[in-house]
Amino acid sequence: MAKTMSKKQVQIRHSRHNMDYILLTVVLFLIAFGLLMIYSTSSYEAGEKMGDSAFYLKNQLKSTILGFFALAFMIKFPYKYLQKFDLIAVVVSAILLLLVLTPLGVTRNGARRWLDFKIISFQPAEVAKIGVIIYLASIIQKLEGLGKNIIRTPKGVAIVMVPPTIIAGLIYIITRNMSSAIIVMGIAVAMLFVAVPDYKWFFALAAAAGAVVFAVVMYASNADTTGSGFRLARVSAWLNPEAYSTDKAFQTLQALYAIGSGGIWGKGLGQSMQKLGFLPEAQNDMIFSIICEELGFFGAMAIILLFVILIWSCMVIANKAVDRFGSLLVVGVMSHYAIQVILNIAVVTNTIPNTGITLPFISYGGTATLFLLTEIGIVLNVSKSCK
Amino acid sequence: MTVINSTARRNMTVQKRKTFIICVLSVAALLALGVRVGYLMIFRSEYYSEQAQELHERERDIKAARGRIIDATGTVLADNKTVCTVSVIHSQVKEPEKVIEVLSNKLGLSEEYVRKQVEKRSSRERIKSNVSKEMGDQIRDLDLAGVKVDEDYKRYYPYGELASKVLGFTGGDNQGIIGLEVSYEKYLTGTKGKILTLTDAKGIELDGMGERRREPVAGSDLYVSIDVNIQKYATQLAKQAYETKQARGVSIIVMNVKNGEILAMTDVPEFDLNEPFVLTQEFAGQPETQDTFNQMWRNGCINDTYEPGSTFKIITAAAGLESGAVTLNDNFSCPGFIIVDDRKIRCHKVAGHGAEDFVHAVMNSCNPVFITVGLRIGVDRYYEYFTKFGLRQKTGIDLPGEAGTIMHQPDKIGDVELATISFGQSFQITPIRLMATVAGIINGKGAVTPHFGVKAVNEENGTIEEFVYPLSDPLVSEDTTQKMRYVLEQVVENGGGKNGYVEGFRVGGKTATSQTLPRGTGRYIASFLGFAPADDPQVMALAIIDTPQGTYYGGQIAAPIVRQLFENILPYLKEKHYQ
Repeated sequence: MAKTMSKKQVQIRHSRHNMDYILLTVVLFLIAFGLLMIYSTSSYEAGEKMGDSAFYLKNQLKSTILGFFALAFMIKFPYKYLQKFDLIAVVVSAILLLLVLTPLGVTRNGARRWLDFKIISFQPAEVAKIGVIIYLASIIQKLEGLGKNIIRTPKGVAIVMVPPTIIAGLIYIITRNMSSAIIVMGIAVAMLFVAVPDYKWFFALAAAAGAVVFAVVMYASNADTTGSGFRLARVSAWLNPEAYSTDKAFQTLQALYAIGSGGIWGKGLGQSMQKLGFLPEAQNDMIFSIICEELGFFGAMAIILLFVILIWSCMVIANKAVDRFGSLLVVGVMSHYAIQVILNIAVVTNTIPNTGITLPFISYGGTATLFLLTEIGIVLNVSKSCK
Repeated sequence: MTVINSTARRNMTVQKRKTFIICVLSVAALLALGVRVGYLMIFRSEYYSEQAQELHERERDIKAARGRIIDATGTVLADNKTVCTVSVIHSQVKEPEKVIEVLSNKLGLSEEYVRKQVEKRSSRERIKSNVSKEMGDQIRDLDLAGVKVDEDYKRYYPYGELASKVLGFTGGDNQGIIGLEVSYEKYLTGTKGKILTLTDAKGIELDGMGERRREPVAGSDLYVSIDVNIQKYATQLAKQAYETKQARGVSIIVMNVKNGEILAMTDVPEFDLNEPFVLTQEFAGQPETQDTFNQMWRNGCINDTYEPGSTFKIITAAAGLESGAVTLNDNFSCPGFIIVDDRKIRCHKVAGHGAEDFVHAVMNSCNPVFITVGLRIGVDRYYEYFTKFGLRQKTGIDLPGEAGTIMHQPDKIGDVELATISFGQSFQITPIRLMATVAGIINGKGAVTPHFGVKAVNEENGTIEEFVYPLSDPLVSEDTTQKMRYVLEQVVENGGGKNGYVEGFRVGGKTATSQTLPRGTGRYIASFLGFAPADDPQVMALAIIDTPQGTYYGGQIAAPIVRQLFENILPYLKEKHYQ
């Protein structure tokens, strides 16, 4: 026992140098670039509405600094201790979500998604994402420890999937935030996919999902959606944005104008026209379109490639992790980033219907940035003990 | 333990492979999105850039200067003057109180009105237009933030009422509303320039973003055949007659017999072209409706038809001579009336003219003789001449709203109708139509197209367009033309038109006194058509007095007008070698 301990300590000390600095550099660059773009996109509107052109930049800077503390802490904090938080992570996430219904919950921009604890306010949905990752990583690890491949049984799948489903349901029902619910479910499915040694169920699931999507699209493209539900109208607006240019597809079309007017080389940093009120709240979901407009095709591709490196680095760390728990944590974080980046760029380019997902590290959003940095801290922590 | 470990190890291996799969799928998705971004940014770039540009730019027009109208002497009849429009841009106003105070003082507007406009949250609010250039410059020099002074052109007519119904005037967008301003719109109007400025979503212009500018192109100057001196004199004579005879209206047209160029056209009462929407004293008190204004702007010389009466005997005589139905030496006897079918038509001389040859019948303007000549020509042939002389068509004058002829259908013309047509009654033509046809008979070449426009000259791009107007085929033979000149000169020398005689010039002409419809109201139209020189006609004038009080004979009140006109303009035209 003592022997193994000392061996592990040696390994940890030795592996300090193994921390993935490329990943850290990429993240730092994205964060810095994000702050620059937030200032670029928001300064005009902020100056008009808030009387302070750096209003959004300052807010974002505060949560970024807080995020760096979290990042530094998680690099130091041995991730193995997170294993103890499996149920607690889910229960705390659920409680925070339920608190939105109490007077602690506040409404901003027409959506009741925030908790305000006076000294700090945040979106519980963002907490839930990291909560679900920790829960799944540790519960899968624990099921594995029990042997007999319980995870392949319906019971095992239920143990793994029910709590994230409840969390996703709470997010959707309480905060009316479908995109966060999708992300939570996406993370859970991805982690289940890697943990279960089978393929066929997932193929079936993917085929079923594909069929449903196809049916909805066919229905929406033929149906007259005036008066029908808000979600279906979004699909119709996606299929034919110019016909819905004044309402449902307004934002999408404005984003397309921004992307298209960027051309190959872009208009130059700060030169976007679309951010001057044509594309409202350009610093949020649609920030990528302004990046396209200002920095052109090459700038946009540079950002996409940075995300490719980010995801690739996560994959390498996950596959080199010394234990299953660490590996699963990184898979969860990787899926989180991948889902958000892909969905965000797909929405901005009108490849899929509008859902309102932010671009990690770049879009404006305090809570998101704080927890994204916390997650990177965990990944870097895992990377330190990689083989 | 080993079983568990080996399962765990195997599961870990699968997990690594699956993690790799997720990663690769994600990277593939991102690269696919990269392709999509590339498609949008490279292949769709032009489309979206254009749409975006359209969204970002606000257009402001720069008015183009309208071409001037210049008469035969080089005098400018319609000009432009620079005026200013003062407006405020709400979002750029820094000192609203000062702006309100200055603008209400300088522009003589009430403070509440200016305050309302300044405080209105709109992108641009007009305070006052048609501000003089000096005042505009003063306001601009004060350099108040948010106050814009734009220069603009306003049409200006230096002679006010002169030839008002001919020249016409322009509306708010500087577009022609009546007269030559309408017919030559496409020459006079320039091409608007544009200022394209970038704005944000609220339409606020962005400083320092530059603007694209397309310079306006000024319209062409229109050179017209009007001679301001003749026009002035004709107008003066018409006004005099209008007042002394308390007439409803007096029209005078002076035209070049050979080519149809109109030297003067007046239809008193005229109106002030600089204030076209102010009712003249004739119309004072009437409701300010479009109808009233249309009446005020109406040009009787071309917009209205009338029964020409005895001046039309020129046409019957020409047709008679041309067809051989009558010769100058034919002898007639006028008992004071003639019976056509069962109708007894009286001569204006109740006692009758007695025995007379055709020349004297024309000099006496004897109705029974002309009826006889008309009947000799016959309905079909008369209608043919009527048509050949162009009387059923419009003249094609370059003014809008020319009225057409009102004439019997050929199958409705019996002897009685023909008899009345022969001395100029029971049908209606415009004064200008009569002149165009008579010119064709006495010039020996063909009916002219009366016109004002001579050429359009664009100084900016150096183009000159000269206008050509058709001349009809000869109406009558050279012989008939000579005879008509002789007969009509006789009318002035010794006949009913002797009041049109001008010392030292050979003048031909014909008088007319026609009762207006309905008959028996005692309302007459007196007219005289004269031309000179009689042996080689150059210039022709028609004076029409509508509803004169007192004496109403054309020979007594209309002929003297043409005489006075000729006394003045014939030496003038000779001096100018107007041929």
